[in-house]
Amino acid sequence: MCDWCEKYGDGYERWYFNPANYARRLYKIRKEEAVASGAEANPQAAGGMAFVGRDFIEARDRGDIAEVERIKQQTEGAMWLTHFGQVLTLEEAHKITDIMYPISLISCACRRSMEGLPDEENFTCMGMGPGMYKWERWPDTYRGGVHFLTPDEAKEVLSKLNKRGLVHSIYTFGTPYLGGLCNCDYPDCAAIRTVVDLEIKILWKGHYVAKIDPELCNGCASCIHRCQFRALSFNPSRNKAYIDQFQCFGCGLCATECDQEAITMVERASLPALANVW
Amino acid sequence: MLPTIIVDDEKCEDPLSCRRCLIICPTHVLGLGTDVGAQKFRETDTSHFIVRPVRFDKCSGCMDCVDGCPQSAIQVSFGGGDAR
Ligand code: SF4
Ligand code: SF4
Ligand code: SF4
Ligand code: SF4
Ligand code: SF4
Repeated sequence: MCDWCEKYGDGYERWYFNPANYARRLYKIRKEEAVASGAEANPQAAGGMAFVGRDFIEARDRGDIAEVERIKQQTEGAMWLTHFGQVLTLEEAHKITDIMYPISLISCACRRSMEGLPDEENFTCMGMGPGMYKWERWPDTYRGGVHFLTPDEAKEVLSKLNKRGLVHSIYTFGTPYLGGLCNCDYPDCAAIRTVVDLEIKILWKGHYVAKIDPELCNGCASCIHRCQFRALSFNPSRNKAYIDQFQCFGCGLCATECDQEAITMVERASLPALANVW
Repeated sequence: MLPTIIVDDEKCEDPLSCRRCLIICPTHVLGLGTDVGAQKFRETDTSHFIVRPVRFDKCSGCMDCVDGCPQSAIQVSFGGGDAR
């Protein structure tokens, strides 16, 4: 079972369907976060959101496995208490818009950092829960302002971003308080690139795993570009898409693109070898 | 091999409107930060934005950013060799 559902699910099917996790005591993490995770003292100066510092990259470069493990565990431990995410399917993201309020469309800090995008082209991130009511305290985090959305508007925005190829995920701000519904891609999203490139689990895999039906797949390859996690490739020998299910993060972007319905999203818990692969 | 990438913040005056190096780096190495951190109750003035090698572990050493920066603000070097 997913650790977070076990700890914070309280009888709900998923921890992020438990309304209590959107309404807990507001977080106080801004200061501690950077120090605890071993990133540069000013994470913004380190480039938006660097979760680890140069010491980690250097340890990896010289093959110092013990040091890599040490920093990795220290970073994960700190981030799991304060700020980490889990991948969602579009259906799950839609469902969340019905159980929490308010929800707002905001500019994306990661893409501001990595693309230098002007705010008006950068409304891809969502902030939610009572924490949003104090957004004016942090005008820099919310550059370009905040659009509060109705649940229906939020679903529409999520569907559009899904079409564009962005991965949905949910983030804590002082675990288990859930405050971010993010829509992201590799490598500009700090969380996706940290988990994919550095294998530090800032982002947990979701509750589903994609599975190909080789009988239904016609080899059109139109799903291949949708994967942001290096789990999906094309197999010329069989003329079919190939999914590495151990690498799949369960975002469902490939499945929503396949008009042959050759990809289904299977419950992770139903696959013994994958049930604990997060 | 890991690079040393140095950006001269004096020369790079307004990276948010230039952002040329961010766009031309083929491996998305460079990103923006600020030299003041998050500030309560006010938006950071764009003059505080700075360019930093966020994903320096993905730098190939192609020098496209060095050659493409209109202000010649970026230096990239490997193994302690001469910066270009
Ligand atoms: S997590 Fe995703 S949506 Fe949120 S700020 Fe980063 S890239 Fe943007
Ligand atoms: S989109 Fe569907 S049919 Fe086309 S390659 Fe992918 S799985 Fe196969
Ligand atoms: S294989 Fe499909 S569901 Fe899995 S991570 Fe890639 S796009 Fe998402
Ligand atoms: S190209 Fe040069 S001047 Fe432009 S943002 Fe990059 S470092 Fe600054
Ligand atoms: S040298 Fe090439 S790969 Fe390295 S940061 Fe500059 S543009 Fe990017």
